[in-house]
Amino acid sequence: MPSPTDVAELPFLREALLELVLLGITGGVLGAWIVLRRLAFFSHAAGSATFPGLVAADASGVSPTLAGLAVALGYAGGVQRTGRAGREHGEATALLLVAALAAGVILASDVFESGAAVDRLLFGTLLGLGTTDLVVAAAVAAMAGAAAIALGRAWSAVGFDPDGARALGLPAGRADVLLLGLVAVAAVAAIPAVGALLVTAVYVLPAAAARIVTGSIRGLVACALALALAEGVAGLYLAYWLDIPPGPPVAVLGALVCLFTTALSNRPAR
Amino acid sequence: MSAVAVAVEGLAAAYDGAPVLTDVSFRAAPGQSVCVLGPNGGGKTTLFRVLLGELDPAAGTIEVDGRPAYVAQTERTRLDFPVTALDVAVMGTLTLGRWWLPPSRSDRRAAHAALDRVGLAGQAGVRFGELSGGQRQRALLARALVQDAQVLLLDEPLSGVDPASAALIAGVFQELRAAGRTLLVASHDVESARSFDLVLCLNRHQVAFGPPADTLTRATLEATYGHELIVLEDSAATRAVTIQHHEHGH
Repeated sequence: MPSPTDVAELPFLREALLELVLLGITGGVLGAWIVLRRLAFFSHAAGSATFPGLVAADASGVSPTLAGLAVALGYAGGVQRTGRAGREHGEATALLLVAALAAGVILASDVFESGAAVDRLLFGTLLGLGTTDLVVAAAVAAMAGAAAIALGRAWSAVGFDPDGARALGLPAGRADVLLLGLVAVAAVAAIPAVGALLVTAVYVLPAAAARIVTGSIRGLVACALALALAEGVAGLYLAYWLDIPPGPPVAVLGALVCLFTTALSNRPAR
Repeated sequence: MSAVAVAVEGLAAAYDGAPVLTDVSFRAAPGQSVCVLGPNGGGKTTLFRVLLGELDPAAGTIEVDGRPAYVAQTERTRLDFPVTALDVAVMGTLTLGRWWLPPSRSDRRAAHAALDRVGLAGQAGVRFGELSGGQRQRALLARALVQDAQVLLLDEPLSGVDPASAALIAGVFQELRAAGRTLLVASHDVESARSFDLVLCLNRHQVAFGPPADTLTRATLEATYGHELIVLEDSAATRAVTIQHHEHGH
């Protein structure tokens, strides 16, 4: 069993730790709004939908961050437009997600023969996290914090009562587009560390657990932030110990905490 | 104070080109209350959406004194959302256009005062979803009061409300009218419409508009509600009731 201090001392783990702390900040602040605005499925889909873009970028030498951003933002725009066309957001999300995953599988297996790189794209890696990944994660954390401060009241009013919020003269549509876009960008930022399939591990699970045990938006953000950071650091240590990518242990820890808080809240009062 | 708070002339409204409301013309002065009667799909909510500026008229003109405050049906709100009655009332200050800033002390003071007016001063910290139906309606009314609007649009404000809350809400309506505010209240309750200054009957077009004595006739109500109207006749009086549904769409 390795020493927990290795996480802070070994250079490659230090970078992974910093990456997960930055993602944890986004996970706490933005995750609260993802859960409150019922965008959990969308956040999962936005990460997974980048798969074809990442496969193509990996094979052709294009920056995976740029390719992922382009696909994720295109995906968010597609969901927004399809939702406006009368379909529910969930339906539109599923429709576009299936199309993106199918395209990714065809590209990976038949066009580029990506092989082992696919695992890294889907589940993340401890190794190979670079300065660009850290800068992107820091920028997204800063954007999430700034947006939550500036748009939190609007997101809250729209989430509570969409009709009433529009009548208040709020830019409800634009605030929602910004939220979808921010979730899509945040999903891309998480891919290097946790992979395209496990974005929800940092952005949904901590906030979902916090939602069960808190009764206010402020409390939700604070609790989600603490859980996201704790699960990120503990998951990184487990990944190092078990020699596996960090995405799966962070996801398993998040799911266990969620189950625990659910069981706790369902316990009959004495 | 202008002489007319709401003026609508030859209004038509449509969704995706399909007309849902035509030939609506009415005026309401400051201090007047208008009951908007009509069946589900009759155009009450569409009229409100046009007055709120959410839907452009397909034809005709509208004039409204300032941005109206809107009280939606409580069924349209999310009961699981972690906001208190005070948070809901504070949302009314968002109309001031400073939505990117946290609420100021004066915003909170205005919200507390509005909650006090609707009898919810003691429930300011209670989560909206834990309030009773009548208390929720009053919290939404408090949000509208905070907006300090000249014109208030209320969608079925007394639907499913307990008698105590209904009395409190009716009291606030009286105060608002005395203060020169104009109220447009969408309702299914034909009998309560008799207490308003004016009644506007809609059934995809304007059936009638005028004082209750002129508009709440059997012929007008039958033209407004059709098969949804039940007329109860006995030796003392004639009463009309409608089969009630909650309107969630147009």
